Amino acid sequence: MTLFQRRPTLRWLVPLLAALVLAAASSVVGVLSAAARGGLPERSAAQLLVDVQTARLSGLSGTIVQTADLGLPSIPGVGGDGSSDMTSLVAGSHTLRLWYADPDHVRLALLGSLGESDLVRNGTDLWTWSSKQKSATHHTVPRSDARTPRSLADGSPLTPQQAADAALRAITPSTKVSTDGTAVVAGRSAYELVLRPRDSGSLVDSVRIAIDGETHLPTRVQVYADGHTDPAFEVGFTSFDPSTPPDSVFAFNPPPGTKVTESGALDGPDRVPDPRGPGLADPKLVGSGWTSVVLTRLPAGATTDEGGPAAQVLQKLPRVSGSWGSGRLLRGTLFTAVLTDDGRLAVGAVSPDAIYRALAR
Amino acid sequence: MSVAEAVRRPRPRVVSTRLLRSELRLIFTRRRNIAGMGVLAAVPVLIAVAIRLSSPGRDGGGPDFFSSVTENGLFVAMAALTLELPLFLPLAVAAISGDSVAGEANLGTLRYLLVVPVARARLLGVKYAAIAVFALAAAMVVTTVGVVLGLVLFGGGDMTLLSGSQVGFLSGVARVLAATCYIAACLSALGAVGLFVSSLTEQPIGATVAILVFSTASFILDSIPQVSWLHPFLLTHHWLAFGDLFRAPVAWDGLTSGLYVAAAYAAVFWLAAWARFLTKDVTS
Repeated sequence: MTLFQRRPTLRWLVPLLAALVLAAASSVVGVLSAAARGGLPERSAAQLLVDVQTARLSGLSGTIVQTADLGLPSIPGVGGDGSSDMTSLVAGSHTLRLWYADPDHVRLALLGSLGESDLVRNGTDLWTWSSKQKSATHHTVPRSDARTPRSLADGSPLTPQQAADAALRAITPSTKVSTDGTAVVAGRSAYELVLRPRDSGSLVDSVRIAIDGETHLPTRVQVYADGHTDPAFEVGFTSFDPSTPPDSVFAFNPPPGTKVTESGALDGPDRVPDPRGPGLADPKLVGSGWTSVVLTRLPAGATTDEGGPAAQVLQKLPRVSGSWGSGRLLRGTLFTAVLTDDGRLAVGAVSPDAIYRALAR
Repeated sequence: MSVAEAVRRPRPRVVSTRLLRSELRLIFTRRRNIAGMGVLAAVPVLIAVAIRLSSPGRDGGGPDFFSSVTENGLFVAMAALTLELPLFLPLAVAAISGDSVAGEANLGTLRYLLVVPVARARLLGVKYAAIAVFALAAAMVVTTVGVVLGLVLFGGGDMTLLSGSQVGFLSGVARVLAATCYIAACLSALGAVGLFVSSLTEQPIGATVAILVFSTASFILDSIPQVSWLHPFLLTHHWLAFGDLFRAPVAWDGLTSGLYVAAAYAAVFWLAAWARFLTKDVTS
């Protein structure tokens, strides 16, 4: 106390130190506990791929955080942080909770601030629930046969080792594959499988896939853009508990006052809607590997709707032109897209020049 | 030690609550503070009456928790807390904490208070304890009025959580109380900021305005995605995490981070107030 009495200004160091210590404490604890555990024993990429295929999951509950910083112009009213709308995942940061007991008992909850959307599979019942709309949808799904061993494709004779070798052979010409045993995901040591494009024309710097050291489950995927230190896209667990969650988690009864839509039976993959959407012409691939460009044609009138939200967004994009014609350019951190005035759409993880070259073909 | 000495120097009680009691009496008997509590209590009344009087087909829509009010009266309290969290509750805490040191300095009573044989650090501790009690009381007033009026107008029963599952009435009440205590803890952290600002000035109004600017700036920064790296450090970032108590199972991550941030702010700003107040020249 005498020091403080002689030099009263020194007192200000106390709150300052407290602020620094408290701000650093949460991250320091994570780093220290990971350092105390040390790195994991070395494993090759092929060994890791085998581990992932042979991983047996007896149950899981965890929190997943997804962040996307794709460098897109933000569109007010579409998605964004803290929204519990399932379509909002394209921008900002989102928190999901996942519970898994077996393929027939899964629940995924998208947490919004004061809202939640749920997808619950309990046996043959599949429920979706939205707290904001107070609505639920009910499907019935066939029971999946959990005893079928996992393989890359039905009837595929590959052992996990062969599958891993085949996968590595397929990507090696275009990709440098390395491993790293020092990642920490959700406070657990993890391996990382690092994929780097050999072609320098790609906007993707690296893709890092974290694989939990103990359960061998993929726990995080990060995509880094060229020239950025933070991942442009990241989805990973922030908490991870490999134990079977209680059955009560998967029980869902629509509460009174809910609009329930009965959607009947889902028969399997053939009911999944065409991801290309209606009227999109067959896409053409130009180039190969990481620098390939997808060329397609939008249905007529898709963007000519004056005053519509799509047209308004398009108006804000810069105009570009060249020997290939003219159009509007959308540049993100991970991809570039050009929509030409005659309705051609070119998308790729490459610089605009490469897109123009592909369009000029 | 002789008997005479023991009589002359009575052992002080380990913890004397006299100073705290006097501080609380000051806070809760001031007419302006009672009027402020009345404003806080008016919001749940307004919500409950407005929803009761509106046509029954019009449920759904409105701010958070509004559509659930007609099914369970407990949600009147939650809707009121959610509405008052951005402005009314921080304003109440800002008024009280801004007044705590600056108000005494302004009235000229601070020097008399310092004559009391109590260390300045302890005086500051008591001042802060009184602010924390007020924060809890302010949140509880909103909850109590909301719960009572909600149960009278809409009835109780099972509570539908955000996750779509239902819990019993008592569990619902417990969750509402826990949410209230969480909000009170968050507001107490703002009160520590207030105590510090209050020790800087002799103008209680200026202090109150500064505290409100602080909490509002926090809310604004929290809504700007470009500074998302700053968000976990903002006092108000986790305030809405009280909603996580209404999930099944409860999502504790946001609540624990919120309590950690609140405790950190309380500690840092109380220490800052201490650094300022212990060497402050009281001139008024």
